[in-house]
Amino acid sequence: MNIETSYSGDTAVGVVSGRVDSSNAKDFDGELSGIIDGGATNLVLDCGSLRYISSAGLRALLIAIRKTNQAGGGLALCQVPENILEVLEVSGFVRLTKVFDTVDEAQASFK
Amino acid sequence: MRIAVKQDPSEPRRVVDEVERFCLERGLSNDIVFRFQLSLDELLTNVISYGFEGVTEDPVITVDIRLGDADIEITIRDNGRPFNPLEDAETPDISLAAEDRPIGGLGIHLTKSFIDTLAYERVEGFNCLTLRQPLGAAGSEESPDEH
Repeated sequence: MNIETSYSGDTAVGVVSGRVDSSNAKDFDGELSGIIDGGATNLVLDCGSLRYISSAGLRALLIAIRKTNQAGGGLALCQVPENILEVLEVSGFVRLTKVFDTVDEAQASFK
Repeated sequence: MRIAVKQDPSEPRRVVDEVERFCLERGLSNDIVFRFQLSLDELLTNVISYGFEGVTEDPVITVDIRLGDADIEITIRDNGRPFNPLEDAETPDISLAAEDRPIGGLGIHLTKSFIDTLAYERVEGFNCLTLRQPLGAAGSEESPDEH
């Protein structure tokens, strides 16, 4: 798992690649928390290169959703592969975060 | 094929990698690989983290893969405390808002959703959970994803 982050004002775009499973969900949590605690109230996660996410990864995502909500911003996902979208649907996460096709659409949702 | 699993948090990923290799070498679809990767990570993590609480015997955990003509079957066996994930795990309320969601409880729910047939039995001191997925028409024409 790797996250490459770029910033535009108070919105951060993190490109997530690899897999988020029980072995590295803590790192995922730490990276997301670092981005939000660093001042980004809006977080876009580009999931185009994400291979899979397990429930441990969803926990980290839930924490990030709460943090951005509390900061008055939000978290949006984009370019989510079909099978990972199914994970988000089955777990109810599609109700907790917005899912967009492109990074631009996700970023625009915060304006 | 049988994989022996140690009671160590790094093991689910190794097993997942071995199962992925097994499936892709035999031309199975990325969809099947994804379903088993997700489920094995969830189930093995549970067994390794909680399955041996209060158990004095040395942990024995194995994963068996059997490829048939029409389906693929993976059986996880462990001599931990009796636990039937199909009945003993609570069903999470996925309609709750982010602030009200408990942290956790989704792993078994995901497994039940992603695996076609699940069967549990307790045999001679071992939990035996079998995951079966039809080979189906999902196809094997997709190229394997890069690591």
